[in-house]
Amino acid sequence: MKVFEVDGTTLCLALFDEVTNSKELLDLMQAGTLEPELALLNALLIPDVFPVLAAASKTLLAKSRQSLTTRTPHSELVYNYSGSKHISESLKRCGISESSTYILVARFGGSADEMAAIEKLIKGKEIDLEELERRANQAQIQKHYKISSLELGISSLADAITCRIASRDAL
Amino acid sequence: MEIGTDEKQGSLVLIKQGAEARVFESNFVSRRSIIKERFSKKYRHPSLDSKLTLKRLNAEARCMTKARRLGVSTPVLYAVDPLLHTLTFEYVEGPSVKEILLDFGTNGVVEERMEDIAAQIGDAIGKLHDGGLIHGDLTTSNMLIRIGTNQLVLIDFGLSFTSTLPEDKAVDLYVLERALLSMHSSCGNVMDRILASYRKSSKQWSSTLNKLAQVRQRGRKRSMVG
Repeated sequence: MKVFEVDGTTLCLALFDEVTNSKELLDLMQAGTLEPELALLNALLIPDVFPVLAAASKTLLAKSRQSLTTRTPHSELVYNYSGSKHISESLKRCGISESSTYILVARFGGSADEMAAIEKLIKGKEIDLEELERRANQAQIQKHYKISSLELGISSLADAITCRIASRDAL
Repeated sequence: MEIGTDEKQGSLVLIKQGAEARVFESNFVSRRSIIKERFSKKYRHPSLDSKLTLKRLNAEARCMTKARRLGVSTPVLYAVDPLLHTLTFEYVEGPSVKEILLDFGTNGVVEERMEDIAAQIGDAIGKLHDGGLIHGDLTTSNMLIRIGTNQLVLIDFGLSFTSTLPEDKAVDLYVLERALLSMHSSCGNVMDRILASYRKSSKQWSSTLNKLAQVRQRGRKRSMVG
């Protein structure tokens, strides 16, 4: 678990592997009864925390202007991370599925109590965020974000994703 | 639990003011960043003004990221704010090509470095042009050399647009040629080196360079007489 400060708000990130209760989490989330409310991201598409923080910054800005596209800041974070404008497709690809076992959990403004609750809620092994880079699925990322090898000649995977997150609404 | 970053996005330091925008230095979630703000022009009708400003803001974000997709290094775009009309992007550490060439002018040319820079410039422009992207303001102050890697980074896509016409590409090169002539004539013929590398990089070099010869005869603006 690590706490980041994004535009004056805190964002807690925790990475879990060997998660066994994805289906349960997904059901709770879709029923809107997940407590505390969380963003659950498909960690295979995340090579670094920075693009997640960029997506979080975008989310907080939209929230402060009451212009969220989705229902909650946490779903908005997943949607923003996808770099696409297709909401349901974004949530499907960058969120978790019933069979997900490798998950990045994000929570805006989490308190110590909530963090303890999260650790209980997710049935899996918490691992260090440093693992993101090594375990990311590069082929899947390149396909999802349409990153050519030409671009990777001058850019890291994380920077290429960040650019897509930032420029989505300008396209 | 530990605090990853404690620096808030806050301190704004104005570093440049132009006719269209102001450029600040700041922090974007723990990374040093540049904020470019397009301000409103009071002499324009407010509704036209906000439309134009937003259109240009988005165009700049698009062109910057398109250049990266074509394999040309530009600062990483961090955020676009359509309400405040700002772009936030990576702070690139390193001198501009202008500073380097001016230094060559006074202290003598470092041949090897000059060749490397010229080759990178020609290669980058060739890639942009083949991808149908015109930079629109190719001057040596809009090119940075990243410290450590010596990689060329193009900045300021505020006048960029997409076009596949040889005319637009030729004018793009012509602007650079004029800029080099007026600023850096003491560095020898840099443009020839750039064009040599452009020829290698761009598949459509021939039609562009033919056009460039015509543009040289008449200047940047096409005659609209008759």
